[in-house]
Amino acid sequence: MLLSTFKIRNFFVFNTLKLMRNVSAQPNAASTETKKPDTLKSLSVSEYRNVYVEFLPDPTVEFRNPIREKLERFDMLARRENVDIPEFYVGSILAVTYSDPHSLGKTNRFVGICIKREGCGLRAKFLLRNVIDQQGVEVLYEMYDPSIIKVEVLRLEKRLDDELLYLRDSLPEYSTFDSNMEMEILPEGTPIPINTLKVKLKPKPWLERWERKNLRGVESIDVPDYVLEKAKKVATPWEKHDLMKQYMKTIPEEEQITIFNEIQPQLQQLELTRKKLKRKRSFIKPVKLG
Amino acid sequence: MALSLIFKQTCIKFLEDKFLGLSIQTCSALQIREKHVHPQPRLRNPTWFTKKNRVFHDDFVTSENTKFIQEVLEDQYKTPTKIELPENTIQWTPGLRRTGVIARKIGELPMWLKNGKKISTTLLQVLDNHVIKYYSPEEYDPPHKRAVKIKKKAGCLLIGAEATDPTSFTKEYCNLFKNTGVMPKKYLARFFISPDAKLAPATPITAMHFAVGNYVDVRGKTKYRGFQGVMKRHGFKGMPASHGVTKTHRRGGNIGGGGEKGRVWPGTKMPGHMGNRYRIAKGLKIWRINTKYNVLWVSGIGVPGATNSLVHIYDTNLPLRQPTKPLAFPTYFHLDSNVEEDIYDESLHKFSDPTIMFEKEKN
Repeated sequence: MLLSTFKIRNFFVFNTLKLMRNVSAQPNAASTETKKPDTLKSLSVSEYRNVYVEFLPDPTVEFRNPIREKLERFDMLARRENVDIPEFYVGSILAVTYSDPHSLGKTNRFVGICIKREGCGLRAKFLLRNVIDQQGVEVLYEMYDPSIIKVEVLRLEKRLDDELLYLRDSLPEYSTFDSNMEMEILPEGTPIPINTLKVKLKPKPWLERWERKNLRGVESIDVPDYVLEKAKKVATPWEKHDLMKQYMKTIPEEEQITIFNEIQPQLQQLELTRKKLKRKRSFIKPVKLG
Repeated sequence: MALSLIFKQTCIKFLEDKFLGLSIQTCSALQIREKHVHPQPRLRNPTWFTKKNRVFHDDFVTSENTKFIQEVLEDQYKTPTKIELPENTIQWTPGLRRTGVIARKIGELPMWLKNGKKISTTLLQVLDNHVIKYYSPEEYDPPHKRAVKIKKKAGCLLIGAEATDPTSFTKEYCNLFKNTGVMPKKYLARFFISPDAKLAPATPITAMHFAVGNYVDVRGKTKYRGFQGVMKRHGFKGMPASHGVTKTHRRGGNIGGGGEKGRVWPGTKMPGHMGNRYRIAKGLKIWRINTKYNVLWVSGIGVPGATNSLVHIYDTNLPLRQPTKPLAFPTYFHLDSNVEEDIYDESLHKFSDPTIMFEKEKN
């Protein structure tokens, strides 16, 4: 049970969830053959916590209040009826269209890789990064900002790390994405692919001490031995075994189930409309762009 | 004869001396040091200050009896008491002061305006407020009298919030609610009001007491931060971290001059206890009201107190933020009427509205 209460970003859970996805995908595929194609199996409650991460409240005990959380969820669902916020992860490539108060009557579209997701509830944010004209650009979007017109996931995938902030110090080609990139559509029921790309860091100076961050998506870091030794000294490898710490940082599973059961009808409705839209599109083979 | 007379006189004189000595002694014991000779009025607690919580003993009450107690309680408070509407109510005018409410700070959330601007708001949940008692200005006799005579004397309204099982309270505390017919409340608060704004006992007060677009003052107890230094307590800048600075990075520095003023002046900002004091955040705008859960969205994140702590909400007394439309006076009574679940300010974006598009102004 405790294992299941781990945060979704935990790597171990990623593997287990992948298995779960596969398991749940098999009967789905079978049912589509036998039953009418209209009956779509919705996501199970255990999968909601990956897709709708921000619906889980801040686990800090002193900030919690059930009524506030409920009102917050109502507002989030009300906003989601007006804008389709799809499932995405850190490492996915997104395109955000938003109306800009500084250019009246026009819209703005930004394509970039999601390098960070933070906050929960109405405060949820995501950070997009791209390199435009040899200049790194990052835009922090509020998920429930009413001036966001459209969020498209151009490439749905995960990376090896929870945060890709090291892309700021890596070679620019790793965070360069064509703004005319076309949407890559995964066939239904496939697990979320994990991109095992290892990026190359630029030589120092860096923005952060990446050798201390225990990064998996980075090629071997070139630093002197004494720096590595120092990193070893300040490392806290026992923290991943600290069950109490993990527990305090997460919402218990029972509570997650009650939360998602409460909002399931509305979420299902949203999913149905999304799936109807999806079926209208044809499958396009992924093409590699610059 | 003469001898006896002399003896008597000496005896009396001796006694007189003795008494004189005694009287001097008593005089010295009763010395008065204060300037004002009249005795200061003794602080006395308000009438509703009684011991609240009962000490729980092992009563060995059988489960049947506890059930019976529950039934009796349910019967007693099943039918809500009839609310007496005040006779010949008057319309609100700027001079009149209404009652406040007891609320709970339940958190902070961002909201967006129709012009796309993000604002931060604090959510205040108005608890199940009921009027317990009204003290007229004559009845409410404060122990400390002011030197200046007050022309418009205020009455005092006692309000309770959060109905609780009365078996957890003492008998004296429960007696406060005896004549009202409402369940004993966990929290009590007094509000000074104009005598015209008085309310009958058991009158409920909801979030509809306030209106969207008006301003309120919120009083709460700030978080206790203990003994704090000058940087945290008063926002001093501290001193440089380097450039030869030693042992003085977070210290306040000089606290006074020399010469004639060579002393520490009263009110000098220094380290000390921080927080755990009642403070009022004034002039907060009400952006939105949820009538189902009785929640007010109030501007800013400066409401004193932690999340889930109690606050008192009053109509603001800032002269430039007085309401333009008349308020519900003495309170909102049409509780049965159908009102919208969410009432928004005109400039606030509803989440159910379509996406904001910044259009060019058509001339």
